[in-house]
Amino acid sequence: MVTTSPSDPMTELATPVESPAKASPSTKANNPNPIAEQDAMIEIDDVSFSYDMGKTNVLKNISFNIPAGKVTALIGPSGCGKSTLLRCLNRMNDLVDTSKVTTGQIRIMGQDINAHDVDPIELRKQVGMVFQKYNPFPKSIYENVAYGLRIQGIKNKARLDEAVEKSLQRAALWNEVKDRLNSSALGLSGGQQQRLCIARTIAVNPRIVLMDEPCSALDPIATARIEELIAELQEEFTIVIVTHNMQQATRVSDRTAFFYLGELIEYDDTTTIFGNPSVTQTEDYVSGRFG
Amino acid sequence: MNSAPHIIKDFDLALAELKNDVLTMAAKTRHNLERAIQALLGRDAELSNSVIADDDEVDELERVIDKAGMSLLVKYHPMASDLRFVVSSMKISMNLERISDHATNIAKRAKKIIATAELIDVTLVEPVYTLADELLRDAISSFSDGNGVLGASLHVRDKELDKLYKAATAQFGDRIEDTQGRSQEYVHLIFIVRSLERVGDLASNIGEDSVYLDRAKDIRHMSRGERELT
Repeated sequence: MVTTSPSDPMTELATPVESPAKASPSTKANNPNPIAEQDAMIEIDDVSFSYDMGKTNVLKNISFNIPAGKVTALIGPSGCGKSTLLRCLNRMNDLVDTSKVTTGQIRIMGQDINAHDVDPIELRKQVGMVFQKYNPFPKSIYENVAYGLRIQGIKNKARLDEAVEKSLQRAALWNEVKDRLNSSALGLSGGQQQRLCIARTIAVNPRIVLMDEPCSALDPIATARIEELIAELQEEFTIVIVTHNMQQATRVSDRTAFFYLGELIEYDDTTTIFGNPSVTQTEDYVSGRFG
Repeated sequence: MNSAPHIIKDFDLALAELKNDVLTMAAKTRHNLERAIQALLGRDAELSNSVIADDDEVDELERVIDKAGMSLLVKYHPMASDLRFVVSSMKISMNLERISDHATNIAKRAKKIIATAELIDVTLVEPVYTLADELLRDAISSFSDGNGVLGASLHVRDKELDKLYKAATAQFGDRIEDTQGRSQEYVHLIFIVRSLERVGDLASNIGEDSVYLDRAKDIRHMSRGERELT
């Protein structure tokens, strides 16, 4: 298990490299209340991204900082690049052979995550991900949560037990499953399976949790439980969530970024984005006028 | 306010209907106030009775607007300027209802004054009413046109109304001392100009709601400098 302490940021990833000169800071129009560098967990700096080796960019010169210990929502119509950006944050896009960050840098706690000496596996231990469709392993509830710890080499039963219980409690699932930890995870309800996936993600103590439409397959009650969980987890983790549900973005997030056609249109406090956005495109999208 | 159409057409219809209801309520309220003063100046007890009776229509419109606003919030989850429009409409209707109550109070006191011998000094109410009505008219326009600058101007102009109210009250107070046997009527006149002064305050509130609608800025309880719109 990667056991980076808060005072020892990301040392497992690689030695920090020199940051390039500040490239194209976001314009004041689309980022009127920027997050200061010292408050940022993630710095996205002039990032462009392509799925076809640079022929066409699906993300175009994106620049904004994601604050530590807060929930940041990425919103926008389908195809706007929000999920692509999310997957850039833990280099999930590396799994697509022709994909490429064509310009800029993504820095997590000051470290360029695309530097040649950064190990993506180590990166993903620090930047966990929860997907749209809950995807527990076909194993017991216990083994699902213990999986990440086991592959980090932890074999001590007492330590595993403790970590599994703590993770399930943090994911607000412990009371529902404590008497059937050895039952198959696939026997849980959809909402419980998604919370199990969150428990599995946070068991390895990541710094950041990425969520790609984590409630879109859940009913309203299960959705409310996940949203409540997000509110509790933000004290320990920096959370970035992609959602199509704008009410959900207003409920769970502190900051919201609106994307359209691969561009960051506006980034501000969530109450401003949904109450008084600066850019007409944002206003049209959040108020349902987008044609 | 954003005038581009929504994807859901019923949302546009519901917003238009809400605006229409608020403007209807505003027109009825202003008409009630105008007729209450006409009843006083023209010694028309029948007109006073009409104003008192018609207040029910304004009360009903307040209920209709609250219901329509709640329905919009529940059904369409309005955001940004749409959300501000729904919230402002509900707050403005509350202020209009209170203005109509003041019109009713004026009509009731007018009836009592009319029941006694003619009193020339009722005309001293007229300039106070004229300014109160101007403020109300502009408050309604600031909402209708989403004109925050006009809405913000009402607070300062309301201070002028306060001065007129104080001057009129002082005059009526002097008359109570000077005249024999008409003190009751002068007390009614003091309460009438007091109602008109409150109409100015409520119009100023509507102006503040219009600023919120137009600029998303809450200027309530702010100093004059802070109320400046850029």
